[in-house]
Amino acid sequence: MAEKYDLQEREVWDGNFAASQALRQAQVDVVAAYPITPSTPIVENYGSYVANGYIDGEFVMVESEHAAMSGCVGASAAGGRVSTATSSQGFALMTEVLYQASGMRLPIVLNVVNRALASPLNVRGDHADMYLGRDSGWIQLDAFNAQEAYDLALCAFRIGEHHDVRLPVMVHQDGFITSHTAQNVYPLSDEVAYNFVGDFKPVDDMLDFSRPVTYGAQTEEDWHFEHKARQHKALMDSRPIIDEIFADFEKVSGRKYNRVESYDMEDAEVAIVALGTTVETARVAAKELRAEEGIKAGVVAIRCFRPFPFDMVRDSLENVKSVAVLDRSSPGGAMGAFFNEVSAALYTTPNRPLVTNFIYGLGGRDFSISEAKRIFKEQKAHADAGHITTDIQQFSGLRGPHLGFFQTKRG
Amino acid sequence: MQDLNLLANDNRGQTDLGNSSSLVGWDEVTQGTILQSFEGDATGIAQKKAEERSYSTFSSYTATVASWRVKKPVFNIDVCIDCQNCWVWCPDSSILSRDKQMLGIDYDHCKGCEVCVEVCPTNPKSLLMFSEYTPLDEALSQWPEKKKKEEK
Amino acid sequence: MAITSIKNLKEFSTNNDRFEGAHTLCPGCAHSMIVRELMNCTDDNLVISSNTGCLEVSTAVYPFTSWDTSWIHIGFENAATAVSGAEAMHKARKKKGTLKDNDAPVKFVAFGGDGSTYDIGFQWLSGAVERGHDFTYICLDNENYANTGGQRSSATPIGATTTTAQAGSHSYGKKEKKKDMVAIMAAHGAPYVAQLAPNKWKAMAKGFQKALETEGPCFINTVSPCCTEWKFDPKDTIGITDLATDSLMFPIYEIIDGHELNILYRPKNIIGVEEYMGAQGRYKHLFKPENRHIIDKVQQDVNEYWDYLQRREEARI
Repeated sequence: MAEKYDLQEREVWDGNFAASQALRQAQVDVVAAYPITPSTPIVENYGSYVANGYIDGEFVMVESEHAAMSGCVGASAAGGRVSTATSSQGFALMTEVLYQASGMRLPIVLNVVNRALASPLNVRGDHADMYLGRDSGWIQLDAFNAQEAYDLALCAFRIGEHHDVRLPVMVHQDGFITSHTAQNVYPLSDEVAYNFVGDFKPVDDMLDFSRPVTYGAQTEEDWHFEHKARQHKALMDSRPIIDEIFADFEKVSGRKYNRVESYDMEDAEVAIVALGTTVETARVAAKELRAEEGIKAGVVAIRCFRPFPFDMVRDSLENVKSVAVLDRSSPGGAMGAFFNEVSAALYTTPNRPLVTNFIYGLGGRDFSISEAKRIFKEQKAHADAGHITTDIQQFSGLRGPHLGFFQTKRG
Repeated sequence: MQDLNLLANDNRGQTDLGNSSSLVGWDEVTQGTILQSFEGDATGIAQKKAEERSYSTFSSYTATVASWRVKKPVFNIDVCIDCQNCWVWCPDSSILSRDKQMLGIDYDHCKGCEVCVEVCPTNPKSLLMFSEYTPLDEALSQWPEKKKKEEK
Repeated sequence: MAITSIKNLKEFSTNNDRFEGAHTLCPGCAHSMIVRELMNCTDDNLVISSNTGCLEVSTAVYPFTSWDTSWIHIGFENAATAVSGAEAMHKARKKKGTLKDNDAPVKFVAFGGDGSTYDIGFQWLSGAVERGHDFTYICLDNENYANTGGQRSSATPIGATTTTAQAGSHSYGKKEKKKDMVAIMAAHGAPYVAQLAPNKWKAMAKGFQKALETEGPCFINTVSPCCTEWKFDPKDTIGITDLATDSLMFPIYEIIDGHELNILYRPKNIIGVEEYMGAQGRYKHLFKPENRHIIDKVQQDVNEYWDYLQRREEARI
């Protein structure tokens, strides 16, 4: 039996500590991990809980992130609860195995503390690693602060391990801004948290010798497509189950999560769509603009990046006149990926709001309230003109001459 | 003469590898591409002989590679000394030995590599290669005599 | 009875096959001889992982599996890590009492070819052995990337021709000596390390059993002659292995706890490496006058290594 850990009703935790407490309360059986800034404390803390008897689990400190995820896959196939954490280059190194984990339908929970991808090397937060995972077949949840990093990690176990889901889940939080900033966090008691997550119920357990199973079979052109289609269907079908689990979580915590979060959107004319800590910045900007200038500004935030909430994005934005989609990842010769996905959803609405794209915050560049306001005001100008008056893709917070691409084609 | 289905389970060698009749749609493929080797409780399966096991249709035991063969090994029980060289070195689990005796060949899984013939120490050999189309009785009727030492 | 008796082959043959036929390895492939022997020498439950390679692509082609045990394949490089994850989970679940049968004996085994062992999976193997997981890693060493059509690996011996180290008018094939993987793994401090060969079935079965019984990480390099890439007739797999062990190209020995070296097979009549090489197409070009010095060099290396092994055996260091 694990030792009792003393918790206050209100704790002051950073995002890393919050995530590691969720791992402790879920009594994760195996963590195979490799250190990388800024996610290291999550697995260090798990190791410390094992060393001090707060978890009856195994901490396997491997020799690379690729091995970390490989160890997690082996452990998960062996029928227990598995989690780890990583960032950036480490995430890139484990990418091969991310696809294997989801293809084998293993409910591993990966805490991703978002950080830029080199070159040039950078340890600060942007969403390059998060975007790298977007086709990997994982569920991706996004936390905007430390409380959410904790809450969503608990939800992630429930979601991934649900027998109608059986998919790995990433819980994202922004490097440093969330991971290293101490904030008020209201944890659940150990008992409530564990009961919410529940016992791990194995499926296709490699350690059940009454039923030997083969994991990782080869499929060629006659089988591969059907397997990938089934996997995609499982991701799509996880949407109502995620909603259900978020509703259950509200019952035990009083905190309600939605796959798409909307703030001040009831009468909004202009909106910012964002991920991560930027959401809170944009929310403050929207509130201030409403009070100061009467601009009907709102914020739409994606809580569940995968499966992408296409219909919910559409529902929350279809009555807006102009939308700015903020991509915190270098687009590498295209429009931002997030912009493309939101635009595709909005293209299927009758009103087709104007949509512009901002690339911002790369390598941890600060995104300020005043910049958010400027972006809102630009949207207002588009809305008033009835068309996009600037380049469709612009860079926000970048030094040097104006950088932007593409204009609206007007008859 | 060996029964072609010697020690065969009901479902041994029933399917050709790559047989398109087994193809099913996306809704019927196994979750996570996972394959279950046996039907029912397989506890202690290592203690059970093949013919006593409930292989699932996913086990390659239920598949056949007989079509790979051009030549087949034929077993002559009258010459065999049950040394089990063929059993230990058969790469295709196709030597059927029970209670220390060599009984014959699993023609569903034998690929005709001829290793068993090569490692057979008897004189004449207890296993010899024949055309796939030679009937077993005909093959046995053509068995060579013991070779004298100088002919070796 | 976990480890089954192997006093003689007749007795061994009463063990039931745990590796099924109708896998798609080439006829005469030594891989399956080795895998069969490993699986048949114990009654214990097995959790097996395989690196990508001939064995993996031939034994789990959807919708068929040749494995009677739990088996997992992830990638080319990480079988040792996959099995170490499963082993860690076994420990964790045993502690918690969440296993279906908490007392069922289980052994963890990983298979890899020489490409995945000597090259791409080297780090993963090294890490898993260093961490001390209780598992046995078996390298099926056919001295090339056979699954991708015969490229050189760091296990390819000097002088062999491969598609990426070709013999030609200006080349005698691979220029570099084979990596000494057994010594490297012994240097990790693994409690049991060995080099074994399928022709010496008894030494191999005993070595496998010793590895399975030994607590901690064990490494076994097995010579797995590849008729397709070494270019010999499939029926000759065991004959070629005999030449390999009798020429001492593949000496059969074990190293216990990193220092106690025991030679497990001493050929009565040691044959020249020329005889071994002459039996395989991959060395054919070495018999041209301009390349014969490579055969001489290989012979000298083999002699020196045999001498070294014998001296280490004697010195017990």
